[in-house]
Amino acid sequence: MRVLLVEDDVDLSRQLKIALGDAGYAVDHAADGEEAHFLGDTEPYDVVVLDLGLPRIDGVSVLERWRRDGKTTPVLILTARGAWSDKVSGFDAGADDYLTKPFHTEELLARLRALLRRSAGIASATLSCGGLRLDPRAARASVNGEPLRLTSLEYRLLHYLIMHQGRVISRTELVEHLYDQDFDRDSNTIEVFVGRLRKKIGSDRIETVRGLGYRLTPLPGEPAEG
Amino acid sequence: MGTAGGTTGIETAPPAARRRGRWFGGPGGSLTLRLIWLASLWIVLALILTGWALTAQYQESALRRLGSMLGATIDEVVLASNATPAGVQVAEIKDAQALRPLSGEYWSVAEPDGRGGLSMLASSPSLAGETLSVPGDLPGRLSSAFGEVVSYNAEGPIGRPLRIAASMKRLPGREAPVVFMAGIDRSDVDADTRQFATFTWTALLILGLGLVIAVFLQVQIGLRPLFGLRNEIADVRKGRIARIAHSYPLEIQPLAEQVNRLLDQNQETVERQRTHVGNLAHALKTPLSVMLAEAGGQTGDLPEMVRKQTEVMKAQVDHHLRRARAAARAQLLGERTPIAAVLDELAVMLERVFKTKGVEIDWRAPDELGFRGERQDLQEILGNLIENGCKWCRRRVRISAGPTGLGQMVVVVEDDGPGLPADQREAALERGARMDETTPGSGLGLSIVVELTRAYGGRITLADSDLGGLKVLLELPAAES
Repeated sequence: MRVLLVEDDVDLSRQLKIALGDAGYAVDHAADGEEAHFLGDTEPYDVVVLDLGLPRIDGVSVLERWRRDGKTTPVLILTARGAWSDKVSGFDAGADDYLTKPFHTEELLARLRALLRRSAGIASATLSCGGLRLDPRAARASVNGEPLRLTSLEYRLLHYLIMHQGRVISRTELVEHLYDQDFDRDSNTIEVFVGRLRKKIGSDRIETVRGLGYRLTPLPGEPAEG
Repeated sequence: MGTAGGTTGIETAPPAARRRGRWFGGPGGSLTLRLIWLASLWIVLALILTGWALTAQYQESALRRLGSMLGATIDEVVLASNATPAGVQVAEIKDAQALRPLSGEYWSVAEPDGRGGLSMLASSPSLAGETLSVPGDLPGRLSSAFGEVVSYNAEGPIGRPLRIAASMKRLPGREAPVVFMAGIDRSDVDADTRQFATFTWTALLILGLGLVIAVFLQVQIGLRPLFGLRNEIADVRKGRIARIAHSYPLEIQPLAEQVNRLLDQNQETVERQRTHVGNLAHALKTPLSVMLAEAGGQTGDLPEMVRKQTEVMKAQVDHHLRRARAAARAQLLGERTPIAAVLDELAVMLERVFKTKGVEIDWRAPDELGFRGERQDLQEILGNLIENGCKWCRRRVRISAGPTGLGQMVVVVEDDGPGLPADQREAALERGARMDETTPGSGLGLSIVVELTRAYGGRITLADSDLGGLKVLLELPAAES
């Protein structure tokens, strides 16, 4: 497994390189944002450890560039400030996990193992409907190239609708496929989630068929399977 | 905001001072009352003076008219009078009024009697044997103003009011001076004067009322922008708006701008403090990471001690940074954070973090519900609570938020984990409030939540959830929309 370590502090980098090497990773190290971006762009890493406070280009910008270029490598961010606003902006940029400094090395290794396990799922084709795209492997969706921020219920709803696009799907069917057994099976909540999903992907993409249910369609002028 | 009881407003003055203040627009008084009061006072004074001058002028001109009539009568009597050795002979005057008894027009001829009074020599037939009344000082005044006409009011025959004119003259062929007097009934003139006065005062009263109403309206309309500004500042305080947005008349626009500048400055100070605090955190935490990693790789007493002390240092740094930040943000005004947006971004983020565990976060909040405070703080409070729920839950975390009225809202965060026994809840919150005893990685990580919630004057309670786990109830200030 190849890991890219992006950290500007000399001592911490040295320690982490040793720890990661001991754990069996092949480690590349970048000390600033520019170098990190270049390495991440050119080398096929399995996972990235990214400090947010970096010289030249900050960590969030580096991450945004990778994601814009279509890189789906799992990224764990390190923050020193520990503020949730930093974590949230890191995740908006496309991070998969975070650790707040100072941390135990074992904790970092455990998180990296989890990230790698998660991304090792079987690759499947990207689904699309017009400008809407859904990548089941990375559990990511985008509309017209803009990444979407979805909760798991919203994601599952979109996944189901996009798999059955063009077909009217009843509320009962959605409830059965979205919730597991012990969930409150209240079909009214489906409306709440459809409402939220519409807000995120554009309200015209999900059509309400009165009395029957919902249907996902491409916008007029968009090809159905892009 | 941020004070213990949440009491607002100006200190109240003692009642007497307040009463005085209200009239004169002092502290606690009213500008409106002050303006209306002063203008009304001035209007009443001016109108009283005007009324007095008008009625006086009218009465004087009426009396002057009577005076000239009386003067003419005196002249006539003088012309008709002849001095005789026996006294004064007055030829017949063919004035019907002066012939008819008690007709209202009278004349008399008299001479000083040498004892300070007058003795009548002749009278008009209309007097019918009565005499025109003579004030005691009249002979004196007449002799000192010899030849001039002296006028006075007096009561005449049958109690009618009279205007009397008298003049002391000399008749040819008579050594002693003779006093000629003429009188005329004054009641018509008096009635006219009264009528005029009634009319004048009524008209002035109406005018006065009209003016006071006009002043009242003018003050109300004139001060309206001031009331508008007051309401807008109140809205800033309540978190409905962030800045004074309307433009105001020339006189108070500078005030509005100063308020905005103050808000900006307030924001800037808080930003600066936060940046400073963030930089300090960053500067300290990387070295702490290095020490922790270095000590973690070795065994023995020294590395163990370093590891422990590093943890304590980390906790202390966190604690004091939060204190500083909480103190800075309590002063912020005009902030409003939509809670649905914050819940959405946190749910998306934390589901990804806990993906391996397969945590599902189900959140419900009305779109229009806002937190009266900073986004970063709400992220901090909810982020920690939800993260905590994700750590302890089996699969599910449920969040619901709603307004409770009275500018408050309630956020409930529940999970289906093992929960917390009732007897440990108090301790968990207490430990949250005092960071010193906590060890990183253990406990509920409630410290920042408790500190921030208290800084905002909110409340936090722990209970059992029907999902099986812990239920955290947060009361926070809501922004009115």
